[in-house]
Parts: sequence; structure tokens; C-alpha cells
Amino acid sequence: MIELRDIRVEYRRRAVVRDASLTIAAGERVALIGPNGAGKSTLLRVITGLIQPAAGQALLGGEPIDDLDRGTIARRLAVVPQQATLPFATRVEEVVALGRLPHEDPFRGARPADRAAVAAAIERVGVGHLLGRDARELSLGERQLVLLALAVAQSAPVLILDEPTVHLDLRHQVGTMDLLVDLNVRDGTTIVAVLHDLGLAARFFPRLVLLDAGVIVADGSPTDVLTPDRIREVFGVDPSLVHLPAPVR
Amino acid sequence: MATGSGALTSPSLRLGSIGRARRRPLILAGGGIVALFVALVLGVGLGTVAISPLDTVAILAHRLFGLDLGRTWTPAMDTIVWDLRLPRVLTSMVVGVGLAVSGATFQGLLRNPLADPYVLGTASGAALGAAIAVVIPIRVTFLGFGLIHALAFLGALAAVFTVYRLSRIGGLSPLTSLLLTGYAVGSLLAAGLAMAMYLSGAALRQIFSYLLGGFDTAAWSQLGAAATLVAVGSVLILLRARTLNGLLLGEEAAVHLGVNVGRERAILLGLASLVTAAAVAVSGLIGFVGLVVPHVVRLIVGPNARVVLPLSALGGAALLAFADLAARLLGEIPVGVVTAVIGAPFFLFLLRRSRSGYEL
Amino acid sequence: MAIPSARRARRQPKPHRTLATVLAGIAFALAACTSGAAPSSSAPAATSSPAALATPSPSPSPSAAPAFPTTLTDDEGTAVKLAAEPKKIVSLTPSATETLFALGVGDRVVGKVEDLSLYPPEAGAIPDVAKFGEVDVEQIVGFGTDLVIAGGNSFNPPDKIAQLRTLGVPVLVLYAPDIPTVFTDIELIGAAVGKAPEAKDLTTSMQAGFDQIQAATTGLPKPRVFYELDASQKIYTAADKSFLAAMIELAGGDPITTGSTTNFEIPLETLITKDPEIILLGDAAYGTTAEVVEGRPGWNVMTAVKAKAIKPVDDVVITRPGPRLVEGLRALAAAIHPDANLPSAAPTPPAAASAPASVAP
Repeated sequence: MIELRDIRVEYRRRAVVRDASLTIAAGERVALIGPNGAGKSTLLRVITGLIQPAAGQALLGGEPIDDLDRGTIARRLAVVPQQATLPFATRVEEVVALGRLPHEDPFRGARPADRAAVAAAIERVGVGHLLGRDARELSLGERQLVLLALAVAQSAPVLILDEPTVHLDLRHQVGTMDLLVDLNVRDGTTIVAVLHDLGLAARFFPRLVLLDAGVIVADGSPTDVLTPDRIREVFGVDPSLVHLPAPVR
Repeated sequence: MATGSGALTSPSLRLGSIGRARRRPLILAGGGIVALFVALVLGVGLGTVAISPLDTVAILAHRLFGLDLGRTWTPAMDTIVWDLRLPRVLTSMVVGVGLAVSGATFQGLLRNPLADPYVLGTASGAALGAAIAVVIPIRVTFLGFGLIHALAFLGALAAVFTVYRLSRIGGLSPLTSLLLTGYAVGSLLAAGLAMAMYLSGAALRQIFSYLLGGFDTAAWSQLGAAATLVAVGSVLILLRARTLNGLLLGEEAAVHLGVNVGRERAILLGLASLVTAAAVAVSGLIGFVGLVVPHVVRLIVGPNARVVLPLSALGGAALLAFADLAARLLGEIPVGVVTAVIGAPFFLFLLRRSRSGYEL
Repeated sequence: MAIPSARRARRQPKPHRTLATVLAGIAFALAACTSGAAPSSSAPAATSSPAALATPSPSPSPSAAPAFPTTLTDDEGTAVKLAAEPKKIVSLTPSATETLFALGVGDRVVGKVEDLSLYPPEAGAIPDVAKFGEVDVEQIVGFGTDLVIAGGNSFNPPDKIAQLRTLGVPVLVLYAPDIPTVFTDIELIGAAVGKAPEAKDLTTSMQAGFDQIQAATTGLPKPRVFYELDASQKIYTAADKSFLAAMIELAGGDPITTGSTTNFEIPLETLITKDPEIILLGDAAYGTTAEVVEGRPGWNVMTAVKAKAIKPVDDVVITRPGPRLVEGLRALAAAIHPDANLPSAAPTPPAAASAPASVAP
């Protein structure tokens, strides 16, 4: 589904990602982890086509991303948006409805199928109690969930998340993870998430890709990737501080 | 998550609440059309010269459909109704459409609720163009357009074009860069305008009356050109409502939703500027309409551009038609004064009762 | 963070200039169609005066070529066609109002510009259709006006003048930057209203009056004259080679001018240096008196102030380019040379003998 070959990304002539090769098959659930500045978000942006690598190739569904127009990409990849200020008062359901943009009829806009998808996404993510409220008044955590619902409404086979649990309380962090697992297992959605919380990553993601200083240093199951040595090397902390829960499923 | 959310209602009920919001635009549209009709009737029927309503109807029937309703009227009355009042009312509507649609577009494009049609220097460019036209000793007319219209139009477009090109230099985000460059270029042009006004001598009043804006020299030929540009431009913008919606959450989110942001930004900028330039060329600088009408519409029907654009067009047309009528009947005071006096209090009133009770 | 440019098309996105040009082209085409079919409608002049076309009735006045239809060239060089003798005239300048009454066609004037120094008083009965900077086109059209006399140099808004012409109303635009043009303007108005002989009489007698006054002041020393147009903030007076400067010279004075043909403002220091011997208060009507002038700081070094040679004058007759200009010249001469032997004020010649008796003198 997603393939990165020898990706090299430069920023002001400095390599922030190099020699990155990665293949993610359809239906996988993968978490990108690593310390700050390791290049996780950068790699994600190569996957979504926001950044063009200085070298290497990125493929989506077997085709080079360069060759695809944004509409096609949007139907294959749904990205949970970063928090942004809304210029006008916008209701929660209107925010979620934006997820249908890639599918909408260019002339007539939303159709009943789109509205159904929006309602279903709201239900699935569990933000029904926020309906009718101005999205600008929500707490950061509530807004995060609304944005997640937007990406779910997009009904794309791949769901990309960049630190989706940052503003959430513990219950919602777990809830979000449960939701991702559910989407992955029930709908077959491919999930690629950047996570900073190793515990969540180890528990909910069968495959972890560990980055350090722009290089993929490990790629595999949580136990294979997060060995005590690795934790010490990459994260620079005493491995006994990190308790990894057993993976789910 | 699905179980822990406390969700009580089923998807179909959700659909219901989403569906209910769709009726409001239709009501607003209906109201707008009625308002336009009333404005047209009053605008054509009222003026300094009293013409009876029956005569007015008879003149229109004769002109439009060739009907002879058996009434007699003088050629003067015919000229007044057909050549003076009717084009004036229609021009005010066309300009209202142009200003409201371009205002809504700039607000969505720049993600800034304080944007209006003039935010990227169009006003200063048009004003400077008009001032130059007044000051230089060339007098040409082409199809009813004087040099002042042509240079105002070109000045507006040139200003935006300059702002766009200049804004692409430098590392600021495109939106911030556009806004700041617009401000800088606008200030520079305003200085040029001040200089032109200083040098204008006897023609100062002409420049000034252009700046205040007005429809008193509206004519069919100008209307034809302006209406074409405004109509075509507005329709093309409406076809791109998707882009404006996509930009609500920011440029990056828009890209992820499938919007070709760079290209769309240029196209929408060009279209909105074209529409603004057409409006400004025939009517001078009328403020307030482009800023307020889209917000009023959004307060009632939400930010979906597909609905906001056409309703803003209706609202802008009605507002400006009534404002011009009032300006006319109050002794030809500047239209811009009337739009501000009508619009500001009404806007404040709506804010207090807005959908979410908070700001725009 | 930079948003990368378009996926496929890596070209520079730019505003659709081609689209704009196409749209503009369509717009112009549409404008051409509408203006072509545009009702430059029933020009009120053509249909409202039925029998006045072309054929001159046999008239007692000798060798009169038919006066109408005619085409006159106004002061802006525009050719103005008059199909028939105008019966409903609108005057948009105070001087035109005076001229029309002086020519005996005051009863044909249906609308005038608001005039705070109205002359003649009979004109007060005529409704105002314009103020400075504004013109009520609808009212003018509503009267069925067949001639408008307007002021050039933007006295009346040029776009309103253009609008009237588009609606089929003939507009004669007059502007007199110098004294000879005042005479030609009066004769132009005469030709436009079918009173050419009367206008010629008027200008002849005006010219005679001018000559007499000039003769009376020739040989007399020419004092330096400062004509104050306004000094409430900056000081305004006659510009070089201006109408006002010419009047003062004809009246036997040496006008102090601003040093520029386009600028009417003079700095106080320059004025003091030029040292006027006589100060004429053109702004007397606004409350400026000799005491006010004497009280101004720095003004007391001027010869005129020391000699108390500060005199109020009626600015209207001096500067209004109409039939009373002779009175204006006389007033100027009297103020500059109070001891000169000026010809007594002759009444402005009444409308010529062939005019109907009902016209007020």
C-alpha cells in the first residue's frame, strides 16, 4: 500500500531523514516512534505527499505519489488535521463534514451518502454529544476527537495520524486507541500513526518503526524493537523506567 | 469509544439535525429575492420627479414587452424611468453582488474574518487609477466608459497583481505574506493618491466623489460590462466553493482534503479581484458591504461556501439597492454613508443573537 | 511550513490573465451591443418641440439666416447640435443665469444652479436643479430641457455633463479663463438661444464700458494691489495671468500675483516682501474688515495697512464672468483710483428692442 524507497529529506541542506525504506501493506497497523527530532513527522509528510524527498521514491498504492493528483491521494489517504484556528463559527458536524470533500460532487456538494458517512463517523468516534456546538469553543481534547471524526468520515483505506493523543486525557487516549484498533480490525483500515507514548504504541500497535536522527533503526514487533539496549541508546533513559504493556489482540 | 461516548441517538436522528439546518438557506434566499423585487419596484418608482406608478408600469411594459397599456407619458418620463432609474437600480444590485461575493471569497481564502474586497490593495489601486484619469488632460470615452472607469479597473487589478507577485518573495506563510504585502502596497498607493489629489486642482471634487462612491451616473452600457464580469466571475467562484470550504481548517488540511491549494489560491484571487475591480470601476469605493454581508449570512446559515456565496450575492444586491435608494431620497448623500449606517447596527444586533452566542 | 506546489503542474501558479482578458472581451462586446441598442431614447428636444424644425417663418428682421438648426462649438471644443430654438433652458452657472436674463430669455429658464449671490432677483422664482458639485439629472430631464449651459473646469461635474449628453440633452460647456472669452461666451449663449443680435449689442456696450474705464485710468500711477480672495488659513490671491490679474490691470493697478499660473496661494513672507499699497478685500462678504486685517500679526509692515488703504469690494461682480463685469471693473477702478474721473455707472443695456416687453429689465 505504502512504500518508501531510500527516502532522503533535506532541510536547509541538512539531511533530516536518510536512507529510509519502509513498506506498509494494506490492513497493517503501524506506529512511528522515536525521540523528538528523529524525523517521524517528516517521514509521515513524505508518505502523505506534503514533502518531496530530495532522493528516493514514495509510492501509494503502487503508484509514485508525484504522479497522483491531490484528489486521488485524498481518497486513498485520510490525515487527521492538526489543530488550527477556524476563521468563522463552525459547528462540529460542519467540521466533520469537511472530511467528505474528496468525495463530494463538485457541483452539488454533499449528497445523502456523504451525510450518512458524516453521521456514522460522529457516532463511531463518539462526539455525538458535541453536535451543534461551535468547534472553536471546544477543549483541545474535544477538538482532537472532532478532527479524528473528520478523518474517519473521509472513508479512506489509509488513516494517518500525527500524535493523535497529545491533548487527550487518559480515558480518551485509550478510547482513541481502541477506536483505531477497531477501524483496523473491522474495516481493514491501514493505520499509520506517529506516537510519542511508548506504552500506547507497544500495547496497541503490532508493528513499530523506530527512528533515530533521521534513520530507521528498527522495524518490527514491540518486543523486537523496544529492547532495553535500544531504549537506552535511542531514548537515552534507563530502560527500567519504561514498562511495556502486553500488546492487544 | 463508540460505547463510552454517551451517545444516545442513532445516526438517523443525527441526520435529522444536520438536515434541518438546510431549510434556513432557502428561507433566506426567498427573503432576499423578495427584498430585491421590492428594491427594484421602489427604485424605479421613486425619485425627485414624481411619476405615477401606473405610468411607471406602463413605461416598463412598453419597453420590455412592447405592450401598449393605453397610457400616455412624456418622453422625459420615459427617459427618466428607463435610462436613469432602471439602470441605476440594476447597477447597484450588480455591484452589491460583486462586493459581497468577493468579500466572502477573500475572507475564506485568507482565512480572515476582517478581510473585505479591498484588503489586497484593490481600493487604493482603483482610487489612484481614477485620480490619474482625472488629473491627466486626456478625455476619451469608449462605449460609455470614461478614462476614469478604465483606469480604476486597471488600477485595481494591477494592485492585486503586484501584491500577489511581491508576496511570493520571502519566507512567510503565503497568507500572512499576502495580507502584509497588501497592506504595504495599499499604503504606498494611498500616498500616490494623496499626491494626485494635491495636484488635481479644480478636479479634486471629482476624485473625491469617486472615492465616496455612487451610482448617479449609471448607464446601460456600463451595466452590461460590469454585470457580465461580475456574473461570470461569481459563477466561477461558486464552482470553486469546495476550495473555500477546504481552507477552513488551514492550508495543510486543505491539501490533505484534495485541494490544489497553490493553484486554487491564484485562481480565486484572480477571480475575486476581477469581480471587485468591475464593481469598483462603475461605482467607486463603497465600503462595508463586502465585509458585513458574508458575515451576516454565515451567522444564519453557517460557513459552507456553497450556501454563503449565493446568499451573500443576494444579500449584497438587496442591501446596496436599498442603500442607494435611501441615499437618493435623502438628497444624494454618499452611498457608503448609508451602507455603514444601515449595516453596522444591524450587524451588532445579529451578533448578540448569533448561533453560538460568541464572536464571528 | 511551506505547502509544496501542485502535484503535477510544477509551473508557477499565476492569476488567470487569459481568463481576465477573455472576460473583459466578453464584457466589452456586451457593452457594445447594449450601447448600440441603447435607447439614447427619445431625445426630449426632438419630440417635445413639434413645429420648430428648420423652416424659418418669414420674419421682419432683415437678412436673418435661419438660426436653427445649428451646431455650436463650446469652450471645450465639443460640437453641440441644437435642432430648434431652445424653449426650456437650464443654467448651471450663476454667470449664465445672469446672461440669460440680460438677453431677455429669463422666462425660458426652467432650472438653475443654486446661487447665494443671486442676480437678477427675478431668477429667485426658478427652481434649483443643481448645487456646487451636484446636478439633479432626473429633474433636468423631467422638465424636458432642451439646452443646458454648464461651467467648465469641473465647476459642474463632468460625468453629469456626459450623462446629460448621453440622454440627448444638448449641453454647452463654457469656461472663461480670460476677459475676451467672457464676451465670446455671452455671444455663444446668444447664438444658442436665438438672441445673437442682442448678445452682440450687449458685448459691444460692455466693451465700450471697458474701454472708457481703461481710458480713465491710463497715465495714472499703478499702485501695487493685493486682492484678497481668502486669508483665513493660507492666503489666496490672483495667479499669474489670471482673470483677476487682468481685471486689476485694466482697472489701473499693478496686481500682486502668486508667481505661478496654477497656484493661487501666496506665502505671507512673499506678500510682505511685495508690499502692497492697496488691499482689496474680496472676502468682505465673509466678514473680513479692515480692522481684521490690521490685527493680523506681521501685516502691519505693509504700506497698505499703514496707509489704511484697505477696502472691501463686491467679489461677485468683479469675478463673475457675466454681463455685470463692467460694473466689476468700475468698482475695482474706483477702489484703486478713488480720485479718477470714472464714467458714471451706466445701466446694463436693457434687452434689445426686439425682445418681448414682458421681460424684466
